[in-house]
Amino acid sequence: MSIFDIFTNQLLNGIVLGSFYALVALGYTMVFGVVKLLNFAHGELYMVGGFAGFLVLSFLAPYVGPGWLGVAVSMLLAMIAIGFLGVVIERVAYAPMLSAPRLSILITALAVSLVLQNGMLTLTKGQYVPFGAALGFGGVRLGNLFISYNQMILVGVAAVLMLGLELFVSRTQYGRAMRAVAVDKDMARLMGINVNAVIAITFFLGSALAAAAGTMAGAYYGSLWYFMGFLIGLKAFTAAVIGGIGSIPGAMLGGLILGLLESFGTQLPGVGSEWKDVFSFSVLILVLVFKPTGLLGKPEQERM
Amino acid sequence: MRNVIKTAAGLVLAVALGMPALAQDALTIGIMVPTTGSEATYGQDMANAVNLAIDEINKAGGVLGKQLTSTIGDDGCDAQLAVNAASKLAASGVVGVVGGYCSGATIPTLKIYGDAKIPLIIPAANSTKLIPENPGNAFMINSTGNDQVAKAIEYFNGKGVKSIAIINQGDAYSQDLADLTKKNWEAAGNKVTNFEVTNKGEQDYSAVVTAITSANPDAVFWTAYYADGGLLIRQLRERGYQGLIAVGDGSNSPELFKIAGPAAEGVIAFSNPTAEFLPQAKAFADAYQAKYNAAPGPYSTLSYDAMKLLAWALNTAGTTDSAKVIETLQGADFTDTISGPISFTPEKTLARSNFVVLEGKGGAWTLAQ
Repeated sequence: MSIFDIFTNQLLNGIVLGSFYALVALGYTMVFGVVKLLNFAHGELYMVGGFAGFLVLSFLAPYVGPGWLGVAVSMLLAMIAIGFLGVVIERVAYAPMLSAPRLSILITALAVSLVLQNGMLTLTKGQYVPFGAALGFGGVRLGNLFISYNQMILVGVAAVLMLGLELFVSRTQYGRAMRAVAVDKDMARLMGINVNAVIAITFFLGSALAAAAGTMAGAYYGSLWYFMGFLIGLKAFTAAVIGGIGSIPGAMLGGLILGLLESFGTQLPGVGSEWKDVFSFSVLILVLVFKPTGLLGKPEQERM
Repeated sequence: MRNVIKTAAGLVLAVALGMPALAQDALTIGIMVPTTGSEATYGQDMANAVNLAIDEINKAGGVLGKQLTSTIGDDGCDAQLAVNAASKLAASGVVGVVGGYCSGATIPTLKIYGDAKIPLIIPAANSTKLIPENPGNAFMINSTGNDQVAKAIEYFNGKGVKSIAIINQGDAYSQDLADLTKKNWEAAGNKVTNFEVTNKGEQDYSAVVTAITSANPDAVFWTAYYADGGLLIRQLRERGYQGLIAVGDGSNSPELFKIAGPAAEGVIAFSNPTAEFLPQAKAFADAYQAKYNAAPGPYSTLSYDAMKLLAWALNTAGTTDSAKVIETLQGADFTDTISGPISFTPEKTLARSNFVVLEGKGGAWTLAQ
């Protein structure tokens, strides 16, 4: 392989991985934007979403097959189920804490993540669960660059979901209400917006996106594990902060940057893959030092 | 006040419930294995095998005229959990401990057992880093990384392999194996094209796979555990890597085939002797199957032997005094085993290597040589 081939291959890897991170970061950033809560359980919702998709697929496979149709239907059902789980978690664990100091709710989020993780550990006994999808290894070859159909579909689905969310937030009435709540919760309530409903919708959408990513990860990588949400939760958080936490285009940009940094970081001569996370977290620190609001974040303006 | 009473009552109850474990007419054996976490299946297999051995020893009259019982300390394949588990076992008055699966988790426990003067027999962990940390009470009955690397290089040479990519996860076991392989492989004038370290729990290996396929080595050697190894093997084959793929003993698990699927066909594993490949282990495998309704896992054979060895050492020393037991173990020439005779080097490692080569065929491991 020439340098050019390596470059294009790593670019492709970066985009696939990046759109994954972006999809998870999106839910993270949206919840933060509206409720100002760092939902540390987001990575675990991704994990539980993967298992939910697996469960649905094992019921559906005899009827629609284990191919992409089955995965698509399971993904949709898992999104709905985990969306409701997100709403329940919000109602049970976060809603009573919304007016408490920020630190309390942060710790509650950590507790929720531990509950989900250990719950799944008990259910699966810590075993890896093979995701029984048969997606095939086909793809398109352009010179030395091989793009599998799986990768295309993965990036495509992620792009559609991100675009859909962006349209929902910018064009619909609920989206406008979400933005209003994000700016000022109390004022929004005075203007007749049902703040609790808006928060529920936010959690539903955020959790559903995590479940979509989890199901796609299960189908794409072929196995599920109770601890798989931890690392990706950390990466999604990093992506959201790099892009500007609270900003939807920022989460997408941050995810892509992170994915590309990791791919190219692996290939750098003389340093190797053990340094790739160092690059990602160095960029995080640089962003926090030089533009604390993130690349696309806007500084908060206090108006009197 | 009522809360104080409640707490006190709770404490009394807890102590009372804990008491039967310390009954005076039995000797307690500690089992330190991961029963949670990524390596939990291995750990449970090992604990089962030790308990099977204890049953047989008890039926034959026990040790020093007393029956044996066991208590498990879960090390979770994690250094911090392992320290907790070791402290718990040391505090519960065990006469000896069988266990140690993950080297990274086992190393910090050596000092705890050493301070408490408890003999430890390690059936699985085999990083050479355990040797300098050993305060003198730990015996390794699994061949060490040095033996495994020698076996791996011998195999690669036999297959005409000239260049290899080595991938580990940065933990004591896999890094030790990777470093030793690199050192010995390069010393023999061969080439290491990639030396990569990946994160445990990472799902996407595409960047590493591209780095490897672009260098196109004759073989890839994964020195860490099966769970992430399965994903790596799958992604290597998906991206068209044609060369030989080899894995260390930490990846010898039927689970690898579940995760990697057909991509695991032809994968080579270097492994300690497991029950299914040893004719003399048939009785053990049958007894295990009958009791636990499952096939014995890869480290069950050595765990069973470890327990037999410990019982023999206690009986031969004629006391539970650890200095005497350790002295007996050091001089052991123990042949009542299923994995082969056990005797120790001055470093308290196995005197004679017992590694075998396995090959993935039809979704299962088969003996290659």
